[in-house]
Amino acid sequence: MSEKPYVSVENISKWYPYKGDKLINHEKKFIKANDDINLSIQKGEILGVIGESGCGKSTLGKLLTRLETPTAGDCLINGVSTKELIKNDMKAFRRSVQIIFQNPFDTFTPRDTIEQILLRPLKNHNIGNSKEERRKLCIERLEEGGLVPGEDIMKRYPHELSGGQLQRISIIRAMLLDPEFIVADEPVSMLDVSVRAEIINMLLDLAKLHNTAVMFISHDIALTRYISDNIAVMYLGKVVEYGKADEVVNNPGHPYTKALISNCASIDPDDEREEISITGEPPTPLDPGPGCYFAPRCFMACEKCLKEYPDKKNLSDTHWITCMNAE
Amino acid sequence: MKNNRLTIAAQAVKSNRQLMAGCIGVLALLVLMIAAPLISTEDPTIYGPDVLNGLGENGHILGTNHLGQDVYSMIIYGVRTSVKVAVISAMISGILGVLIGGAAGFLGGKVDVIISEIINVFMMLPTFFLILLIVALFGNSLTNVMIVIGITTWPGNAKLMRAQALSLRERVFVKSAEAMGETKRQILFKYIIPNGIFPVIANTTLGMANAILTEAGLSFLGLGDPSIISWGQMIYAGKQYITSAWWICAFSGIAIIIAVLIFYMLGDGLNKVMDPRYNKRRA
Ligand SMILES: Nc1ncnc2c1ncn2[C@@H]1O[C@H](COP(=O)(O)OP(=O)(O)O)[C@@H](O)[C@H]1O
Ligand code: SF4
Ligand SMILES: [Mg+2]
Repeated sequence: MSEKPYVSVENISKWYPYKGDKLINHEKKFIKANDDINLSIQKGEILGVIGESGCGKSTLGKLLTRLETPTAGDCLINGVSTKELIKNDMKAFRRSVQIIFQNPFDTFTPRDTIEQILLRPLKNHNIGNSKEERRKLCIERLEEGGLVPGEDIMKRYPHELSGGQLQRISIIRAMLLDPEFIVADEPVSMLDVSVRAEIINMLLDLAKLHNTAVMFISHDIALTRYISDNIAVMYLGKVVEYGKADEVVNNPGHPYTKALISNCASIDPDDEREEISITGEPPTPLDPGPGCYFAPRCFMACEKCLKEYPDKKNLSDTHWITCMNAE
Repeated sequence: MKNNRLTIAAQAVKSNRQLMAGCIGVLALLVLMIAAPLISTEDPTIYGPDVLNGLGENGHILGTNHLGQDVYSMIIYGVRTSVKVAVISAMISGILGVLIGGAAGFLGGKVDVIISEIINVFMMLPTFFLILLIVALFGNSLTNVMIVIGITTWPGNAKLMRAQALSLRERVFVKSAEAMGETKRQILFKYIIPNGIFPVIANTTLGMANAILTEAGLSFLGLGDPSIISWGQMIYAGKQYITSAWWICAFSGIAIIIAVLIFYMLGDGLNKVMDPRYNKRRA
């Protein structure tokens, strides 16, 4: 880790106050959507973030793009706090950090045409000198992105386009601002299986071309493995395993990752592995712990696991887990 | 694409009789407003020699009042007053409601808490009494009446807009506008208000019916603007002749009822058409 990270997430947490049964027990409870997360991403790197639904992946994406304010901790870009960046020059920050949302059907206001939707940020950020120049740029990008004829697409309303087309437009719009870091929050999970690969390729090609760092959020470990340089595995608001994509998939250290991989049909490991099932209550990040958050469902859990949260343990220079029993 | 929206609007109007009747009624009121000099038989401000004439007497279709003004012509010109009061006071109420409610719902936090409290206080105030008080204090010009109606009725619109803003701000397109670098103000005016304003428009139209009634009520109590022709004032002035010259009160009363019904049908029809459940039921 000699290179200075481009994005560096330092002890970031997001706790939502829990509004249920306050009358019954008076202590204040929190939904710990993200809890003390540390990660880093290099320029041009693709970091995959995986985990079950509700484990806090989208929250992490929103924290890094400052659509949510962290309860604690910070995210630094080039060593500068994003809190400062957005305070000093909101527009510049928004240009350099972009996000693709999971639901392309709701990403654009239903009242505007694609032309209005694409021209608006360009005008806001003073990209292009005239309306004509901006229109030309948009049409060019649409057509490069496989949306032909661009002139025709520009006249459409969002509800007249398919999810795949909308997600392409979402990617094109983000890329118009030439961001240095982009969060893709399950960008294809709501799309037809047949178009998923094309959309992911489009995103990754554009990212590569501009040397953009990408945080690719997914619940699909097989897909994430193929496109990512590194993978972070999340469980109940915590990162429980991090490493190079191949390391994590071929040699998972954390019992949760092991269970995820053994349950995933599309990864066939070289050696025969027994299937590990995850049992127990579906998790909620409502005041988890003490002890390892995974303990209630962990097949390796022991007495000690219930007492304190495990420390970070390095499996190699580039691979770590938070588990006290794995080797 | 503008055509597209027009056809959708036309279909909506056709799908609901109430809305259709309201639209036709409003068109009729507009025609009466514009063409009043052509349709009326006399200048209603002229005090003629024919005092308290009955129906049809001396060419006065609906008779005259105690000052010799032609009742028919007064009613025609009264449309102008009623519609003006309805539209302007509803606009004031609508604009205040949309801006205040929209800001509260979208910004949330302390702003929302404070504004919500203010809204609640306003909703508890006895509106008509407040209007009476203000008109008594600041005089009874039509402008005052319109402003007062506007600023006492905005809380209902604000509540509706706030609820819309609260749900809209969780929508992806609002988050994505923020991510694209739009300011809070841009988001409020470009995404929250245009996407959430429909219930407020419907409610404001209903409010127009109430505004007409309020102006008539004030006039009936003698707090109307004496320098204009208004149906409420016709009733106020005519009520002492109710036994001898019933037509003065009766026809102005009918005019008020019709105008109120038109705006009510328009507002209620709009409400029904824009309720998402309505289209599902029909489909
Ligand atoms: N605005 C919010 N208020 C309260 N709880 C929230 C909010 N947003 C997310 N959560 C909770 O935080 C947890 C993580 O959510 P999320 O980040 O959306 O998970 P994921 O994207 O991994 O499915 C969930 O339990 C969710 O209910
Ligand atoms: S620390 Fe214990 S409970 Fe947690 S993952 Fe490791 S073995 Fe399982
Ligand atoms: Mg999510």
